[in-house]
Amino acid sequence: MTNSWLRAGAPPKPRDLLRFGPVIGFVGLFVFFSLATSTFLSAANLRSVLVNHFSILGIASLGMTLVIAAGGIDLSIGTAMDMASLGFIEVLAVGGSTMAALATGVAAALAVGVVNAVLVARLRITPFLATLGTLFIGQSVEQLATGGGQPIYLVAGHPLAIFNAIGTGIVADVPVALWIAAGAIAGFFVLLGWTRLGRRVVVLGAGPGVARYTGLPVRRDTALVFIAAAGICGVAGIVSSATIRSYVPLAGNAYLLDAIGATFIGTTLGRDGRPRIAGTLLGVLLLSIVKNGLLLIGWTFEWQQVGTGILIFLVLAVSFGHRREA
Amino acid sequence: MPRRRHRTGWLRMGSLAAFTVVFVGFAIAAPGFLVVGNIANVVDQSAILGVLAFGMTVVIIGGGGDVITGGIDLSLAGNLGLSAAVFAVLSQSGSGDVLAVVAALASGVAVGFVNAFAVVRLRILPLLATLAVMNICAGVELVLTHNMVVQARSSLLSRLAGDGPFGLPVLAYLLLAIAFVLVLAVQCSPTGLRLYAVGGHREAARAAGLAVERHVGGSYLVSGLCGGIGGVFSAALLNGSTPGSGEMLLSIVVAALLGSVFSRRLVPTIAGTLLAVLFIGFLINGFQLINVSSYWVSGVEGVLILFVVGTTSLVRREMS
Repeated sequence: MTNSWLRAGAPPKPRDLLRFGPVIGFVGLFVFFSLATSTFLSAANLRSVLVNHFSILGIASLGMTLVIAAGGIDLSIGTAMDMASLGFIEVLAVGGSTMAALATGVAAALAVGVVNAVLVARLRITPFLATLGTLFIGQSVEQLATGGGQPIYLVAGHPLAIFNAIGTGIVADVPVALWIAAGAIAGFFVLLGWTRLGRRVVVLGAGPGVARYTGLPVRRDTALVFIAAAGICGVAGIVSSATIRSYVPLAGNAYLLDAIGATFIGTTLGRDGRPRIAGTLLGVLLLSIVKNGLLLIGWTFEWQQVGTGILIFLVLAVSFGHRREA
Repeated sequence: MPRRRHRTGWLRMGSLAAFTVVFVGFAIAAPGFLVVGNIANVVDQSAILGVLAFGMTVVIIGGGGDVITGGIDLSLAGNLGLSAAVFAVLSQSGSGDVLAVVAALASGVAVGFVNAFAVVRLRILPLLATLAVMNICAGVELVLTHNMVVQARSSLLSRLAGDGPFGLPVLAYLLLAIAFVLVLAVQCSPTGLRLYAVGGHREAARAAGLAVERHVGGSYLVSGLCGGIGGVFSAALLNGSTPGSGEMLLSIVVAALLGSVFSRRLVPTIAGTLLAVLFIGFLINGFQLINVSSYWVSGVEGVLILFVVGTTSLVRREMS
């Protein structure tokens, strides 16, 4: 598996088709939910899936994909989301301007990224443990800032222009949240696939030793990766808090496991087993329609969770099937 | 070579010294800290985390230390919640203690079996396989409990939550007993040695003729059993099953990983994990006694991980 990414031109084998497990799963579930319910295929429902499920998790998963592509992992993406949300809402709550709120939110998320960057690139702590430490410290910061976890709601009568713009606004018939997601996706697609930094990140993830011995700026790139990931997660946090018009402490961690799941489901898509933006987005879509579809066919909240778990498990089982002989 | 031993020895001393400094600091600052009752209390309250961290340690030993591709069992916290729910629901519907305990442990082992099957047969990355299983566990727990507290009272539970010989909590004794058994099985037996070999270098272990799959799979079964035991403990401590067990997951990971700095060769060991669990327990307890807000606890845990891991990687770099 480690070197298979080099063999780009090998002819496809029947087993390779198994790697389209996520695609088959997605299409199958889409057709199933469309047939099983009258509401799934409606424009309103699909829009709600895209806005409520896909956009926020999608943006956050971009950051996770970038870090995993560079050979690391970031457990603190939820912390970056929460910090951005906290800064954004807090500035608005004390009457600051919209621009100041946005800037504070993004800066707070970037600060999380800088902490990770220092820990991983400078102190050489493994990403899993470094970002786990950041996650724990972030939990304390959030609890201390909110008296143990009280949400911050914006009082009615507050000039809500920013919320209407980000949370519920519609431009050219498409919700603003989706525009933001589309912009972030396009940006990361270009970054990872078409820039020098992106190519170096791919090398770094595929062969860290190779990257170091060929003289690539490994430390600097690692630092940039963690800062960029935290930054994009900050955007996700701002979109999320604009949608619900409040800051809920520790809400971001709910996205952590889904983002990891989506990214790794995405890695099964290519023969090389590396993370890629398109694969991650398919993973996010898969998770989104499963949650929505199970709700629509009348499964209760409890069974939805069981169903989601089993479906992800099956997709993983099928997708990893083709690697068995590797 | 002597230099290497000297260096890691220093680090091991360092982590033990940190433990001692914290311990002595609290003993001076908080009058009620260094009392047999309080210490037993800490061990008692560390029982659940401890048992789960043992399971995690066994999986990490068998799977190797790399957290992404190596062994990890993210389903442990979910397993705890599920087993506690199984126990509480059966107990509430009038089943006997024996049946309830057996069912709780069986559900724990069943979860471990699913993990083992996914990791060994289906070759799914442990991180992902156990992540999916964690979701399934949490879901089944919700189905059983409808996200509500399920009260359970029985003679066994009150016995477990009560005091044993010398007036010390039963769970404290049980934690130490389980640790003792696992130290014998993992640290002092041929099977344990083979488990380390499998985790240390899988290909070499396979070439040497070890049954790699059986050892890796077995580690997940042990971990599942630990989850089941943790579930029974939690039912005893909380008088039934309460939602929210999933929040323990990260503490379990931290305890198992911190434990390796208490070992001579910086590898995960059962005794090291026990020390790490008690260390975290004493920290939380000491903060409570000197009236520091509990909001600081996770932050201090975070700094602790970073400090310990930072110095470890520093020493490792100088070693190589």
